[in-house]
Amino acid sequence: MTTNAGKSLGDVGKHVPATSSALRPRPLDELRSWGGEDLVRGKRVLDLGCGDGRFALAIAPYASRVEGLDPDEEAIATARSSARGAGLRNVRFKVGAAQRLPYRDGVFDVVILSWTL
Amino acid sequence: MVDALRETHRVLAPGGILVDARPDSRVFAYAERTKARGSQRFGLVSTSRAELVNDRASDGAIARVVRDGLFKRRRRGRFWHRVPFGSLAELRLYLWEHLRFVRRARWVVDAATRQRYSNDRFVIRRAVRYELFEATSPDRRS
Repeated sequence: MTTNAGKSLGDVGKHVPATSSALRPRPLDELRSWGGEDLVRGKRVLDLGCGDGRFALAIAPYASRVEGLDPDEEAIATARSSARGAGLRNVRFKVGAAQRLPYRDGVFDVVILSWTL
Repeated sequence: MVDALRETHRVLAPGGILVDARPDSRVFAYAERTKARGSQRFGLVSTSRAELVNDRASDGAIARVVRDGLFKRRRRGRFWHRVPFGSLAELRLYLWEHLRFVRRARWVVDAATRQRYSNDRFVIRRAVRYELFEATSPDRRS
């Protein structure tokens, strides 16, 4: 790894305020550019660095299961509240870090790093 | 970052897909005035030095895990995203507060033109790049 990359390891877990996600592309527009709904249809999806869950919530109707993980407790609380409000039962959100994912081996078909790396 | 990508590989089923999408700092963003038909370019917006360093680190981490045989590159592309503003002042404030960009646009129109149209609608049009990777099965890793 380069020196710069090495330095950046200290930043792992950094996040931007969830409110900034309002200025990002609409999730389904973004998904469409990657190849469309088939990418996640019927799949087990992890949205890593999910922030306030906007992306995870948007793809939930297509996926079989969506997990969202983010180090920002406040953002995860917002995401959980939104999921409850939307009546989505196949989405779960957890607070956690990308370096120690709280999931078993091989349990996802798709992992999304949307504006995360 | 490499640690996180290794973890990503661990939780993906063999053949699973990793999507990496983020703003494309390799090209300018554009400050544009919205017209009834089309738009007028007012300025160029660069990515801040700190974010360029971060992006290069991310690229390096991705290259590392591909080199290590954890992922195969499958497909990549780019699309353009527009962030709307009600005036030129709003756009400037956004740049001033947004850590990703340098704080000021490099204007390509003169001050009189900027003043004349300052209450028009504007956008920052920026590139977002994405790449899809396929997770290799553990026994195929080098």
